[in-house]
Amino acid sequence: MKKVIIQKEEIDLRDCVERLGNAADGAVVTFTGRARNASGDKKVEYLEYDIYNGMAIREMERIVDEASDRWALGSCMVVHRYGKISIGEASVFIGVSSPHREESFASARYIIDEIKHRVPIWKKEYYAGGSQWVQPPPKP
Amino acid sequence: MKIRIKTFSIVRDVLGFDEKELTVSDEIAVTDVMTLLVKCYPGLLPIMNTLLYARNEEYCRTDTVLEDEDTLAIFPHVSGG
Repeated sequence: MKKVIIQKEEIDLRDCVERLGNAADGAVVTFTGRARNASGDKKVEYLEYDIYNGMAIREMERIVDEASDRWALGSCMVVHRYGKISIGEASVFIGVSSPHREESFASARYIIDEIKHRVPIWKKEYYAGGSQWVQPPPKP
Repeated sequence: MKIRIKTFSIVRDVLGFDEKELTVSDEIAVTDVMTLLVKCYPGLLPIMNTLLYARNEEYCRTDTVLEDEDTLAIFPHVSGG
């Protein structure tokens, strides 16, 4: 199973996890990115994500295909939200399963790193006194 | 020929539109489109070197030549996740 979803609604994390894995998979690894309440010395009130929908879906499907080619995965699911995200809510979910844990850990890491580097999505932080588009850190 | 410009994030803030149709006389490179835009929107100049481009939803370079009915997306480095 390979699934990529872009949605405005909250992510149902339990439902996502339940969809992962099959009888041959001994490992399920998930990553959840959440909106945090601080950025440097600024208090963040909420986030907003802008997204280039068609291109973002295509780029995420490509990343999932790359991960599936590189590691033996039983299933792989990526969900990314857009619009307003309240503090503590999940903005992105990545779930992978595989017969052994190494493949799941490595592929989940690969997928989130590539999403942050390639997928046309932009984060804006809102503070009490204004807002600012987030500048991505340079790729390590 | 006609091309469609799409903008995202800070580029949309600077240009003040999220989508616009541009009529040009002939095939035109991305860099030429940007030269035209900077003339009308000088606020673009300070962020020009930080921008990325996509032609018909695929990343492209500034020397990519656009064809009739193409969509050019202009945006800064991504920050999802």
